Amino acid sequence: MGSEEALPLLEVRHLSVSLGTREGEIRPVSDVSFVIGKGEAVALVGESGSGKTLTGLSLLALFPPGARIDSGQILFEGLDLLAQDPATLRKIRGQRISMIFQEPQSALNPVLTVGTQMRELFKSHTDLSDIRIREVVADRLRSAGLPDPGRISRSYPHQLSGGMRQRVMIAMAIALDPRLVIADEPTTALDPTVALQILTLLSSIRDGRTKGLLFISHDLSHVRRISDRVLVMYAGRIVENSPARRFFGTGPLHPYSRALLASRPEGTGRTRKDAPLPAIPGQVPPLWNLPEGCAFAPRCSRADERCRMEAPPWQSEGEAGALCFYPDRTTMGAPLHVA
Amino acid sequence: MSPETGPLLEVRGLVREFELPGRTFFGPRRFLTAVSDVSFTIRRGEILGLVGESGSGKTTIGRIVMRLLDPTRGQVLFDGLDLTAMKGRKLRQQRRRFQMVFQDPYASLNPRMRVGEIVGEPLLIHGLADSPSWRREKVARLFDRVGLSSHDLERYPREFSGGGRQRVGIARAIACSPDLLVADEPIASLDLSIGAQIINLFASLNETERMSLLFISHDLSVVRYLSDRVVVLYRGQAVESGPTREVFAAPAHPYTRLLVSQDPAALAEPRNGESGSSGLCSFLPRCPDALPVCREVAPKRSEVDGGGREVVCHLAFGQASWTPSSPSPSIQGSA
Repeated sequence: MGSEEALPLLEVRHLSVSLGTREGEIRPVSDVSFVIGKGEAVALVGESGSGKTLTGLSLLALFPPGARIDSGQILFEGLDLLAQDPATLRKIRGQRISMIFQEPQSALNPVLTVGTQMRELFKSHTDLSDIRIREVVADRLRSAGLPDPGRISRSYPHQLSGGMRQRVMIAMAIALDPRLVIADEPTTALDPTVALQILTLLSSIRDGRTKGLLFISHDLSHVRRISDRVLVMYAGRIVENSPARRFFGTGPLHPYSRALLASRPEGTGRTRKDAPLPAIPGQVPPLWNLPEGCAFAPRCSRADERCRMEAPPWQSEGEAGALCFYPDRTTMGAPLHVA
Repeated sequence: MSPETGPLLEVRGLVREFELPGRTFFGPRRFLTAVSDVSFTIRRGEILGLVGESGSGKTTIGRIVMRLLDPTRGQVLFDGLDLTAMKGRKLRQQRRRFQMVFQDPYASLNPRMRVGEIVGEPLLIHGLADSPSWRREKVARLFDRVGLSSHDLERYPREFSGGGRQRVGIARAIACSPDLLVADEPIASLDLSIGAQIINLFASLNETERMSLLFISHDLSVVRYLSDRVVVLYRGQAVESGPTREVFAAPAHPYTRLLVSQDPAALAEPRNGESGSSGLCSFLPRCPDALPVCREVAPKRSEVDGGGREVVCHLAFGQASWTPSSPSPSIQGSA
């Protein structure tokens, strides 16, 4: 095998991004490192303000105004995206890396039909003939689970249901056969049954050994269905990086990941008559006012003086790892998220 | 005081139609039936979960119960009083007793009012605390009850996180010690680590203040945890209802079974043209187990194993103590 083959699909190395806000300078992405292998589906879990969406956008080298990249590299098939000129990035976006957004309503153009928008993609990125483009558009819509591509092509986004719009978004995201698809909360705005269908569709995207998927979500039951590896973000940092089998099996290492899993009633069969839900006390600290030491320490049941004073180290155990002084290596008791 | 015997809330044959836009001058008026013949009761001290996807009519039902919307047909009896027929001063007097917690704590709090004023307002309106100092004290106690600090009284809603705002919304709703809280997706817009705190607060209000709760949600596992009984809605119809534990352990309706199994493969896509077939079972276009009779006759409500479990489905025939009110000759006809 050549060295090309051995490269991971994507490698993020020590990425830090700062933003100027009214409250002062914040760092929503702080020393973030992770790898997405070929054929791998990686989930990025976090609450609002944890930096997960900005991390996703940075993989397309898209940054909001006022953002500053303080350090780091984003290597996509060995190519550092942060060092590329705009023309190269435009070719990579959509064609090699594409993104699916939470609210397809605002990501689709309301005054153009679905067909027009999809044909536009091929016109700007390929030199296919118009007839060939029509065929490919129909084919992509069908692969996204839309059985009547003719009708969908003629429709405007508002004429479609939320689930169908999300399928159109997916069809557009896979249109040019990208190597990496980033899906930012693609199931959040959908009904539970429709969300499950979309998850099934998404996991089929990365089938094969060449493609990768980054699934950004706060819904752990969805993460469990789709991911090979789970990253957990808290206050701008990745605090856990563990194989999904371990995360949902013996349990994650970081106390925050554990507390998140435990605070949901899924699969436990418990009711309010049995016990209160083990809620995490307090709230997520604002990024402009982070505590000393570990950002989770004020809410953590395992924290001691050291956690409140010093930044925690990254501790690995096999393929799993956590940013914590006292990672929890015990087996979690209750059956987790059994559907 | 009224006798504490009957149910606290009784919803009878609720129907709500909305007129669709786009009617031509002489053309027929077209209607969308958002809620179609829904009945349920909430007992005193009980938590009832109302489950369904968007468009199932669950929010419409919540708004009708709150008298924020009039039903097209049907009745809402609150403590034996017909709310749908009530208006003016009499209705205002009763309003104190049923209050709502909204989904979006960002949109449901007046941004120009301090949160202390927001929570004190219902006390003022209902004349429960006329003197400012007494009202302040009561509001401080409410803040403490929902887990906010009395230092927060002078702050504005924008200074709170989503969870904090939802606590303010709950403090406002419980200010007048209502008998019934209606909560429409109260944790859907909250952060992952905050949802459990709010669920525990509802459970505790039910436990210690004996507040009944109509909990409207699409989150099955939370409904399963929190509610005593559950009503499953599909496209405006209550397809199944009963004690939560039993409904989840052995769902009788194919739609409930689908929700509980979480198996996307079991869900048939709605076929074109079938979705609007009125009069028949609303789940028919997606039902994996549809019988020939389902395409001929609408199913009737039938009881399953007694114990207050009801299901609207032809499949319940044979597995339940169900007897058809009239024979269905079409079973042979279309097989």
